[in-house]
Parts: sequence; structure tokens; C-alpha cells
Amino acid sequence: MSEKPLPEITPLSKPFWDAAARHELLVQRCGKCGRFIWYPRGSCPYCGSRDLEWAKPRDTGKVYAATVARAVVGNSPAWEKELPYAVAMVDMDDGFRIYGRVVGAKPEDVRPGMRVRLEFEDIGNGVAVPVFRPA
Amino acid sequence: MSGDVAIIGMGETPYSRARADKGEVVMSAEQYTAWAVSLALEEAGLTKGDMDGQGLAVIGSEWPHSEIWSAEVAQNLGFRPKLLLRGDFGGENAVELVIQAAAAIRSGLVDYVVAVGGDSPMTPFGAQTSRSWRYDIDYMKPFGLMGFVTLAGLMMNRHMSAYGTKVEHFGKIAVTQREHARLNPNAYVKAPLTIEDYMKSRVLSDPLRLLDSVMFVNGGLAVVMAGRGKASGAPKQPVYITGYGMVHNYAEGDPAMPDVTTTGVKVAARDALQMAGLGSGDLDFLQLYDDFTGAVLMQIEDIGFCAKGEGGRFVERTDMSYRGEVPVNTGGGLLSNGQPGMAAGFVHLVEAVRQLRGEAVNRQVNGARAGLVSGLGGLAYGNNLANSGALILGVV
Repeated sequence: MSEKPLPEITPLSKPFWDAAARHELLVQRCGKCGRFIWYPRGSCPYCGSRDLEWAKPRDTGKVYAATVARAVVGNSPAWEKELPYAVAMVDMDDGFRIYGRVVGAKPEDVRPGMRVRLEFEDIGNGVAVPVFRPA
Repeated sequence: MSGDVAIIGMGETPYSRARADKGEVVMSAEQYTAWAVSLALEEAGLTKGDMDGQGLAVIGSEWPHSEIWSAEVAQNLGFRPKLLLRGDFGGENAVELVIQAAAAIRSGLVDYVVAVGGDSPMTPFGAQTSRSWRYDIDYMKPFGLMGFVTLAGLMMNRHMSAYGTKVEHFGKIAVTQREHARLNPNAYVKAPLTIEDYMKSRVLSDPLRLLDSVMFVNGGLAVVMAGRGKASGAPKQPVYITGYGMVHNYAEGDPAMPDVTTTGVKVAARDALQMAGLGSGDLDFLQLYDDFTGAVLMQIEDIGFCAKGEGGRFVERTDMSYRGEVPVNTGGGLLSNGQPGMAAGFVHLVEAVRQLRGEAVNRQVNGARAGLVSGLGGLAYGNNLANSGALILGVV
């Protein structure tokens, strides 16, 4: 039986994944310019500082773009049984963009501008990933 | 700079999906690379020996490529180059390598560069060695994203919702390019295509349909480049590189939350046109990187043929055929040619050379003197494509 792909957790990303397993959102924030940074980096992509900390952003945001996955292409067949599902590009209220599936709405109803809240879904092996739900 | 480096030879092998059961050719990337180089050298009136101490530019391939791949290719070919360039720019490989090669020739480092893309994504013959991006492995695949297919769907969705673009606009691009492919003996896909067929095609990730996206083929392509001194004696009419531009990790607007409907081709094409001393209206054709139809539409806007957001309406009212006001992807583009793995950008390049030499026969753009070739490669996180480049090619 095929399983969903798991991340390769590194020293850089471990704080995010540890928090995610507890269903908490932790994201890097730059100690110099104050911006939230997603995905995890070795330095701030906005100002170059290496002074990064892990912080808890607001869990709310707005859909920037949305699509409905209707076929598995270049990913695990484990997703097949969940098709069709919505995937969105979400602009979080604290100024970073993140992808995720949108649950709790008909996939076709997910559109740019929709307010969403980030939560976590367990995908196995103690790993949880962000998903969104209409706020 | 304007025109002190030229393309003096090109090679394009036939393409194959490697279906032995259908009588198709089954070959490896090494064979395609060798075949393309040999065709290009022959056109240029040069031999392998002439390449000693010169330049060799090699794409990274879907399969195979070792970590130190360009030197392996040099050994396979028996070349003893002074300069080795290696492209890891995805769909922007061809444009970027041609720019790097042109800069090397202009600097006097070498007189010639052979730039080659050979790839066999349909026949992996063992484990694929290339890995995806860290952000794809960790923050996309486990999150349920389907790579290119999801991101193309998201970009097209954003364009539609922000500007009222319709799926029929994307469809017209696919249909026009198929008409071109049907006139191109080298194109892989030649079945007739109507807008009705397009609308009926399977949706992979809304609004992206199967017919909005490319499919892999095996194939090899190469060009030989030379400085003006060497080029003027070449057997074929030299096609000069009169302008170029490139940008990496371009973000329109806020870099944390950029506008995904604008690509780096906006900057690359602006710089290339400026170098060539031309405006977009001076271009006789566009060979635009087309991993999906939406990329073509966005680039038409980015190059300045219409305002951002007007692309759908522009496409609707404009004849993009080789006879039209703005001929686009006159050989069928990747959408109908097929995508020869990481060699894909060479497809646009060789079609531009053909048009400018007047060798495009039944799809020839009348009196073509200047054209633009773009490259886009690498899916960026939260944006569109990471590598953007543009070339202006011309004949004197």
C-alpha cells in the first residue's frame, strides 16, 4: 500500500516539524527586519540577516490562487483516493505565502479572496502538514 | 554588442516517445547528444578537431546525469574543450547557455562554442539521478501538490480571477501551435486540434487541461556559435545574437507574496530589446517557452504586446499563426513538439534560426529579420518560474 510522501527533516526544518506534530504553527522570523519567512532558510531572504528565530504567526490568511487537483502527477498514488481536492496559494495575514490543501469546502468553491485558517493534518509517521479551512 | 556572435550551425534529431511496440526509436541521452552535435558541426562546416581548445556547453538532463556531467559529455564526444559550461536552468537552459557562450566568445576566451541539449526522459535506463528542490520534497509533495501541474493551475487560476481571462484564450494558444506543428516535419504531435477538442480535454488541475501542458519526448538539439570573424565565412547564413537579457529569482512586487502573473521575461526581454536597439513591434516572431499555455499568455504581456491582464483579449483578437500579426511558436512549440526533457529550450532556438534563414518552408514568416526566443525554467516556491531569459536573433 502506497503512503503519502514524507518530508526529509533536517536540523534547519526540525523546529517547524516538531511544532507541526503538536499541531502548532512555528515559522522563522528575522530578528533584524522582523519579517516572517516561509519556507525555512539559512538567512533572511529579505535583508540577508542570519539572526533568525522561530515565532508563532497568526494562523489566518487569504487565498491568493486556487486549483482543484484531479489527477496524480509526479506525486504518490496515495493521493488518488482523495481526489478531487482543492490546493491553494495562501497569503497569510503576517506576510508570507504558503501552499496547502483546502478542506471543509467543495473544491470548486475555493476561490481567490476566500478567508482561511491554517490547521494541521496528520499524514503518518508522526508527521503533520498544514491544511486550510474556510475561516 | 549587437551582433558580434552568431549561430552558424544547428542540429535537431527526430523526437521519439520510445515506444518500441509502435516502431519508435529507443535511444539514450548520450546517443541524442552525439547525433545533435554531429548534425550541428556538419552544418557549420566544422569537424570535431576544430573544437579542440574551444567551448562546450551542456545541459543537465533528466537522465542520465552524473554530478560532474559536462566533463562526461566531453569525454563521450572526444572533445578537448578549453571552456565547459553546464546548464541547470531547466526550461531556460538553451537561452542561458547561449548567453553565457556569447559572453565567452565576446571576451576572446574561445572562438567557437557548441551548445548541446540531449535528453531521454522516456527511457531512464536505471535510476534517475536528479532530485527535486528541497521545498518540493518537504513542503509541496507531502502537502498534496503535484509539482508543475498544480503550480500551472494556480498561475492560470490567478490570471483568470484577476483579469477575467477565459479558458478559451488558453485554448487558442494550444490550437494555433498545433496548426504550426502540422506544418513542421520535426514536430511529434500532428493530430488536428480544434477548440472543441481542447475544451473536451481532461482537466488535470483546474483550469489546466492535458492540452495546456507538454509531454516528454526523447531528443537532441545543438547549435554551433562563433564570433563575427569566423561566422562570416560559414557555409550557412549566420544568425546573429543581437540582444540578450536574463534574470533569476525575479519577483514582481512584494518578494514574499509576488504577483505570479508576471514572469522575469518582463525584465529579460526589456534588456534584450534594449541591447538590440529594437522595440517589441520590430519583432517578426516570438518563440516563447511554453511548458503550459498560460506561460505563453503571460509572456506576451510581459514583452509588451499588451498591458498586464489584457493577454486573454489580445490572444482572442490576434492572429498568432505564422501568417499573422504576431507569429508565436511557429514550429508548434513544446505543446505540440513535445518536451525533450531539459533540452526543451533548444526547440524554440532552432525554430528561430530556421525562420531567420528562411528555411521554414510552408510555415515561413514572410521576410523575418528579427525574432525573440525566451526561456523559463525551474518552479519557484510561491511564485512562477525561477529562471528567465530572452534572446533577440537577427539576420543582416
